[in-house]
Amino acid sequence: MLETHDLCVEYDGAVALQSLNIRVDPGEIYCLLGANGAGKTTLINAFLGFVEPATGSVHVNGLDVSRYPLESKQGAAYIPEQVMLYSVLSGIENLDYFAALATGRRLPKARLMALLVQAGLSEEAASRRISTYSKGMRQKVGIAIALAKGAKALLLDEPTSGLDPSAANEFSLLLRQAASRGVAILTTTHDLFHAKQTGTRIGIMRKGHLLVEFDSVAVSHEELEAAYLEHMRVMQ
Amino acid sequence: MIGLIARRELLEFIRDRRLFWAGGIILLLLAIALLVGWQQQRTLNAERAAAQQLDYDDWVSQAERHPHDAAHQGMHVFKPEAPLAVVDPGITPYVGSTQWLQAHRQADLKFVPAQDATGLQRFGNLSVAWVLQVLGPLLVIVLGFNAFAAEREQGTLRQLMSIGVTPQRLLLGKALALSVALALLLVPAAVVIAFVSLSGLEAGLQYDTLMRLLVLFAGYAIYLSIFIFLTLAVSGRTSTSRIALMALMAVWITGVILAPRAISDLADRWYPTPSRVEFNNSMDQELSKTYADAWQASFGVSTRWGADLPLNRWGEALQVDDQAGYLVADRHFAELWGAFDKQRQLQEWSGLVFPVLALRSFSMGIAGSDFSAHRDFSLAAEQQRRLMQDLISHDLIHHADVLDHQHFTYKADSTLWKQIPPFDYRLPTMEAVLPANIRSLGILSLALLVSFVLALASVPRRA
Repeated sequence: MLETHDLCVEYDGAVALQSLNIRVDPGEIYCLLGANGAGKTTLINAFLGFVEPATGSVHVNGLDVSRYPLESKQGAAYIPEQVMLYSVLSGIENLDYFAALATGRRLPKARLMALLVQAGLSEEAASRRISTYSKGMRQKVGIAIALAKGAKALLLDEPTSGLDPSAANEFSLLLRQAASRGVAILTTTHDLFHAKQTGTRIGIMRKGHLLVEFDSVAVSHEELEAAYLEHMRVMQ
Repeated sequence: MIGLIARRELLEFIRDRRLFWAGGIILLLLAIALLVGWQQQRTLNAERAAAQQLDYDDWVSQAERHPHDAAHQGMHVFKPEAPLAVVDPGITPYVGSTQWLQAHRQADLKFVPAQDATGLQRFGNLSVAWVLQVLGPLLVIVLGFNAFAAEREQGTLRQLMSIGVTPQRLLLGKALALSVALALLLVPAAVVIAFVSLSGLEAGLQYDTLMRLLVLFAGYAIYLSIFIFLTLAVSGRTSTSRIALMALMAVWITGVILAPRAISDLADRWYPTPSRVEFNNSMDQELSKTYADAWQASFGVSTRWGADLPLNRWGEALQVDDQAGYLVADRHFAELWGAFDKQRQLQEWSGLVFPVLALRSFSMGIAGSDFSAHRDFSLAAEQQRRLMQDLISHDLIHHADVLDHQHFTYKADSTLWKQIPPFDYRLPTMEAVLPANIRSLGILSLALLVSFVLALASVPRRA
């Protein structure tokens, strides 16, 4: 579960997040929409403990991130827009490394391979160096790391940005599979279609505020688009 | 976790071939330095031992002659090279190796190898110590300059921190990786160095040399560890690998190349030492006065070797002359060597900021090629000279011409020459040498602590 209470974050006096209350329950995929600078990445950073709240609190799986910075990370996994891995290592070696660091124990090679395959990577690709990987393949390794970790919360920062439609669709499927296992997922995106398609709830942020939330089943594509454009117009 | 981080780093060193190329060059230079040093030392020690034996044979096989003539011929003694001079020749190329033990005067050592060297050699001798002191830090920099900077550039630092890797563990993992990489290169090299240094030594000297080697290796391990943490500190502070490399190169040039020369000049300015001519002139002036006073007090004459003193008292006069001169020479040499000691101390303490200075002092001290070793040999040689002078003076007194007109007709034979034993110089033991070098080791350890704290403070805490 991911949760914030009256969260305020400031950068050198400039407000990045203001009295933000958000909650992502297990099995939920929360898609956060907003223009650049809305505070989406700052919110992800707050969950990861990369920024300190000026006021309020941030909780991951019930743990206050400020008080339990390491423990809170153990139950969460992070997948950025560009999953950063070691280019001189292969996919399976990267997974081996990050999974072992995250869990404190090394997994057998067969298990690592199974995780990569589960994330949608072929065995042949898993043994190749990361320098030969596409963006989508890197993200699959990111998903495999999250799977290996057994993370109960998933934080994704614009994960489908730059992916071709097929890869984006494949990725959405993986997220839904994770959610069906009870993982709480928070993902930021600019892609309204992806948000409606993948999310169970959708929030729109602007200037550090959460303006509105939708149930993705209850809202239509048109209503979501209209709401988004209206809020962006207000901003302009 | 630390082991995992270290393992990945090592894999990267191996796969991007940095370890192979940078380490290979260092190993090649070490091998050349060791081979050349070993060959030179083997030849030199054999030649010096043979020369000293020949010189002593000449001494004992002298024909019958006046003892004072024999004292003027004197004998030559040759400084043996310490076994570990093959690793660190220290000041050996810049000081003499041969001392002429002759009447009246304490001499400094002659035949300075650097004077016979080519201009290129004078720039710096290739030795195992030089490679480790100067190029060792460069190897650490090449391996570790991008330790944090590249993680930041590639975004993997953010990935690592997102899974709960603490900056401290990251630092220790990277430090361990660099240490293991260096160990992979240098431990086999150390075994070869030990084998070469110990081969052909007698058992007692072998044990002493082995102990010295172990302490020496510990000193170098501390020195390279300082650079490991400095490199990680700079890499942790800088935003890109390029800036990290440039900053570290500046640190290397300043700390390893320029600082030793600058501090050496500074030490010479703060604790000046006279030139050879100035030193000799100053000692001669005081000796003249001291001799005159001694002659006045002993014989009531102020002119030395004049007609006022009967020839049959010249044996006594030589003894008075020598005894008075010993004190003056001892004081002048003590002052000169004291100034050298102060210069060394200043350089040692500068090691807190420029560790190469503390290491250099420590390394040549433990290797037995520093100024203390030079002084120890000079003192032993002077003891031998004084023994020779005192025996000859005593013999002249014993054979004083009672007729007072046949003084120079007296001739001693090999019975007297053989009373002077062969010069058997033993290098100081490890136990004798270690206390004088503990301070350098302490300074290096302190510098290691400082660099570790610096690295801890510099390691990135936010992605």
